[in-house]
Amino acid sequence: MLKPMRKIFFIPFFLISANFFAQSPMNSQEAAALKTLVKTRAATTKTITSDFTQSKHLDFLDNDVVTKGQLAFKSPNLIKWSYVDPFKYSVIFKNETLYINDEGNKSNIDIGSNQMFKQLNKLIINSIKGDMFDDETFSIEYFKNDHSSLVQFASKDKKLSKYISAFHITFNSNGDVEQVKMIEPSGDYTKIVFSNRVLNNSINEAVFSN
Amino acid sequence: MKLFFLISFSLLILGCGSYPKKQGFKLDTTSQRTLVNPYFSNNEIDYVYKAKIEVYDRQFGGLLIIKKINGLEHRVAFTTEMGNKLFDFSFSQNDFKVNYIVDDFDKGLLIKILKQDFKTLITESLSNEMFYKNNFQNVHETTLYNKKHFYFFDIGKLVKINRVKGTKEKVSFIFSDISDSIAKQIEIIHYNIQLKITLKSIK
Repeated sequence: MLKPMRKIFFIPFFLISANFFAQSPMNSQEAAALKTLVKTRAATTKTITSDFTQSKHLDFLDNDVVTKGQLAFKSPNLIKWSYVDPFKYSVIFKNETLYINDEGNKSNIDIGSNQMFKQLNKLIINSIKGDMFDDETFSIEYFKNDHSSLVQFASKDKKLSKYISAFHITFNSNGDVEQVKMIEPSGDYTKIVFSNRVLNNSINEAVFSN
Repeated sequence: MKLFFLISFSLLILGCGSYPKKQGFKLDTTSQRTLVNPYFSNNEIDYVYKAKIEVYDRQFGGLLIIKKINGLEHRVAFTTEMGNKLFDFSFSQNDFKVNYIVDDFDKGLLIKILKQDFKTLITESLSNEMFYKNNFQNVHETTLYNKKHFYFFDIGKLVKINRVKGTKEKVSFIFSDISDSIAKQIEIIHYNIQLKITLKSIK
């Protein structure tokens, strides 16, 4: 238990500490500059390979469920997520089909008729590149700290917001995506942190076949 | 006419034969028995399983996540490998709540099946109604949501639960690769519908 006098000192110190690490809102020029940087970067991105760590946060759990793997992206719309730890699972998004390899068991899912899935797929592609600056679909807020920028895309679309209420994307100073956080209406979220990200290296087409 | 009654009566007698009798279990009334399912009972553990669900000719996977909360409640959630939540249920002693379910899964019959299966998985203390011996196994008979269940213990470890109607097994829960009250491999097999759920612990 803190004594009252100590509390008086401790609380302001805590608030200052919290504020020190917090993001502050960008002004409109800073927001416009970031948007231009990310859009230019996205337009010139032909391929991405990256390691990723995915954390599934469920409020009732003590620890997030952490999975790791590699991402391969080829413009305009080929993506492969390969999970390697703690299980082997890969999914390729190609045309209107998902090609799944679940520890050797291969299967396909046709998403052509599922508008919601198609929209989510498009958003995932856009979020990898960071280019989600669509004011029709999202209300967008910009934040910054010393090292990175954070853009919060809150879903305006009622159908989409049943699944994901907001995307929070963190960019480094080059305009590359460092982290994507997809937040559900309940507050539970999926966070994907990218590392060893390499842009525009050639990727063999065979990577995207199951 | 007499023969008809005789055959009908014989069939009735055979039809009414109990599951333990048909299985050749030997009733044991020598001592008081308690029945406890030890899996999913530690509130300090996040139970996370890679799940494979085979339903008729379709197959899909995901992560089944189970957590005991406050000693009174269990949460059971299912997500895809990529993290999309498909459903999230709360179970307490006498209550069941759907916290979230995607539209594609929001079907009364499916929810009922999942609710019963998970209720069996997570229910810890049960009343021991009968106790039998079956070769080397101990078998406890109990009732869960008004359905007969038989719990099979092999050298003190719960290895199988059968949900039974009359003399027929409707669902089997098979536990294997067991250590420290965690079954690392679980199979839930339905016999009246083509549904099989395979769970493999990843944590």
